[in-house]
Amino acid sequence: MPLDVSTVSYALPEGVDPLALVAYLDKRFPVISEPGASRTYTVLDTADRRLRAAGVDLDLETGRGGPRLVLREPGGRPPLAADVRRPRRNRYLLRDLPAGPLRERLAPIVEIRALLPLACVKVGAQLVRVLNADDKTVVRVSLASPIALVGPDHAATVPLTPRVDVSGVLGYPKGLGRVTAAVRRGPKGGLVDVPASLADEAIAAGGGDPEGIRTKVRVDLRPDQRTDRAAVAVLCDLAGMVDANLPGTLADVDTEFLHDLRVAVRRSRSVLRELKRAFAPEPLATQRDALRWVQAITGPTRDLDVQLLDWDHLLSAIPVERHAALAPVRALLLRHRAAAFRALRRELRGPTFRHAWDDYRAFLAGDLGPTGERPDARKPIVDAAGGRIRKVYGRMLDMGAAIDATSPATDLHELRKRGKELRYLLELFGGLWPRSVVKPMVRSLKGLQDVLGVHQDREVQASYLRGLAGELAKTTGGPAALLALGVLVDRLDAEQHEAREAFAERFAAFAAADQQALVGEVFS
Amino acid sequence: MKVVATYNIKGGVGKTSAAVNLAALAAQDGLRTLLWDLDPQGAASYLFRVRPKIKGGGRKLVRGRSDVTDLLRGTDIEGLDLLPADFSYRHMDLALDAAGKPTRRLRKVIAPLAELYDLAMLDCPPSISLVSESVFDAADVLLVPLIPSTLTVRTFTQLGDFVAGEVDRRPRIVAFFSMVDGRKRLHREVLATLPDTSPDDVVKASIPAATEVELMGVERAPVVVSAPHSRAARAYRALWDEVRPHLGV
Repeated sequence: MPLDVSTVSYALPEGVDPLALVAYLDKRFPVISEPGASRTYTVLDTADRRLRAAGVDLDLETGRGGPRLVLREPGGRPPLAADVRRPRRNRYLLRDLPAGPLRERLAPIVEIRALLPLACVKVGAQLVRVLNADDKTVVRVSLASPIALVGPDHAATVPLTPRVDVSGVLGYPKGLGRVTAAVRRGPKGGLVDVPASLADEAIAAGGGDPEGIRTKVRVDLRPDQRTDRAAVAVLCDLAGMVDANLPGTLADVDTEFLHDLRVAVRRSRSVLRELKRAFAPEPLATQRDALRWVQAITGPTRDLDVQLLDWDHLLSAIPVERHAALAPVRALLLRHRAAAFRALRRELRGPTFRHAWDDYRAFLAGDLGPTGERPDARKPIVDAAGGRIRKVYGRMLDMGAAIDATSPATDLHELRKRGKELRYLLELFGGLWPRSVVKPMVRSLKGLQDVLGVHQDREVQASYLRGLAGELAKTTGGPAALLALGVLVDRLDAEQHEAREAFAERFAAFAAADQQALVGEVFS
Repeated sequence: MKVVATYNIKGGVGKTSAAVNLAALAAQDGLRTLLWDLDPQGAASYLFRVRPKIKGGGRKLVRGRSDVTDLLRGTDIEGLDLLPADFSYRHMDLALDAAGKPTRRLRKVIAPLAELYDLAMLDCPPSISLVSESVFDAADVLLVPLIPSTLTVRTFTQLGDFVAGEVDRRPRIVAFFSMVDGRKRLHREVLATLPDTSPDDVVKASIPAATEVELMGVERAPVVVSAPHSRAARAYRALWDEVRPHLGV
């Protein structure tokens, strides 16, 4: 239930003195000018700018009582604030924040991502209050001259666009319209809309990308584009995502850096496999081996991340009195994760990865070789990718139809792997076809992949936990933990069973006759 | 949202002054704060230059027929909104009596605001009535200003007994001394003895009888805003710093 208060922001054009605007307002309305004040704060957001996407600003300020987070959003909601401790390892995870409205507001947006300092801003502001006949403030006009503090120790400054924020006061809607109209006309030809949010400007001033790390590929493909060039364009964008996520992975900022790095690698492998006829066989095999190796060295840490991220969910289905007994299991998982991460970091910092990655980048940037060795190189991408989509979809229909109650888990896993191929083809090249065709296909595929994913994850998790039994038995509290572990594994088995039961229905939707007909028609 | 009510059966003891100053301090500390001026005299509304009138009057409000968010007014202090007084509040007892479950009505009126505010401060009229019983039910903390006098102890004890015996949802009672004149021997003596008799309920900070507090009606602003470095403003700050931990906000 937002309150009916809004703020409208304008940019003060170059050469217009803020004091001229104050004088301009003073001529037209009864106003009081407050003494100027300044504040310095740090802009926080996740690496992929989830708060920005949600229209939320989160600032870290240092006030009377120490560091304080302030969350602001449009639509008249009053700001939310919470006192916090200084960030550990230069980040806040949700669990680092005190319980209360601010954390509750952030939780569904941020989820498991860390809040990171993205820019430092100093704002000198002059507040002008517009009064009504009772001398009551009915509109606030803030004239801000912000600067970004950049570089080591924030020693350098970059001026940002001066802004005029016109804010209404709850219960006094009439004044806002009048003042906004006057400010928009403004002195010397009027004010203009702000080019970007203050946070975005400050991040860009510090050399950052205001959009943050992307997870979606953004490449403009033409249907008639050569397949090899389209593939390289997509692969370069994906390689950029690997580069963007590498520092956060090495610093272990949050689990999503590694996850997104792995997704970018997996998508790259998929492009190389599905469009292999656009590349020369020998260098292609080398690069596919290199990317497979990257996927392999990052796997163990990710598997343990999944175990730990699912921990609370798994515990929720187990009687509370057994939770304490499972503490040694979690402690063991944490130890294994720490060891796996150390190994991962060693590999990613080592010469093998560096050489492999440099070589892969050079492969993408260089000459792909004579087209005689690459039969699909000149083929229009719409034909090459469309053909693959039709083929993979058809193969999935055959594989899914052969699965019944007696099929081994590996059959479902193989189908899932094919499903990932199809999903990546649709995500990376789907823009070449009408959304009305691609979107329902992705939706039914996602429905199928969700149950296959749960099925496989539970298989891996249960197998890993069973493997802990020997080590667990030697720890303090081991026997009790082993008994509770049995309950946990039963829970995983039950969820795997549920996923298997849901498979038939999801597959039927994916293999519906009208979808089959559409795929045959559109991707022919 | 935590609810604090400034309450005393007697008038002229500093309830409104405490309510407006503590609400202003809470907002300055970044808490989303609401002040509900329940007194038909409308002193708090006057101080914030808000007209003491609400659409539909108190009767519609307590019967749940008004959208309470439409009645809110922003004050000149950012983060502090006001639910203004209305002269019809003088009949609020009757309005409550006519409604079902009268002692739970005020809690119900502010319930929709729980997501919008961290703190609601209720400035109550002096009396012990159905209105005060409904305030007791709505409040997490009753903040009681006491003028240091021999009758103070008796009044305070009476209030404690009443809340303990008659109120289902008991608020915590926190008292402080108000309008303290250090030149008066009686004030000095009561100040020295009462905290010993009820150390958990009476906070250390006390508000002096000060000209700046009286001038709030002229300045039409809380003393913590109009004279933030004055003795009275410092006293309200000390009071807020002691009361805030009781609220958990």
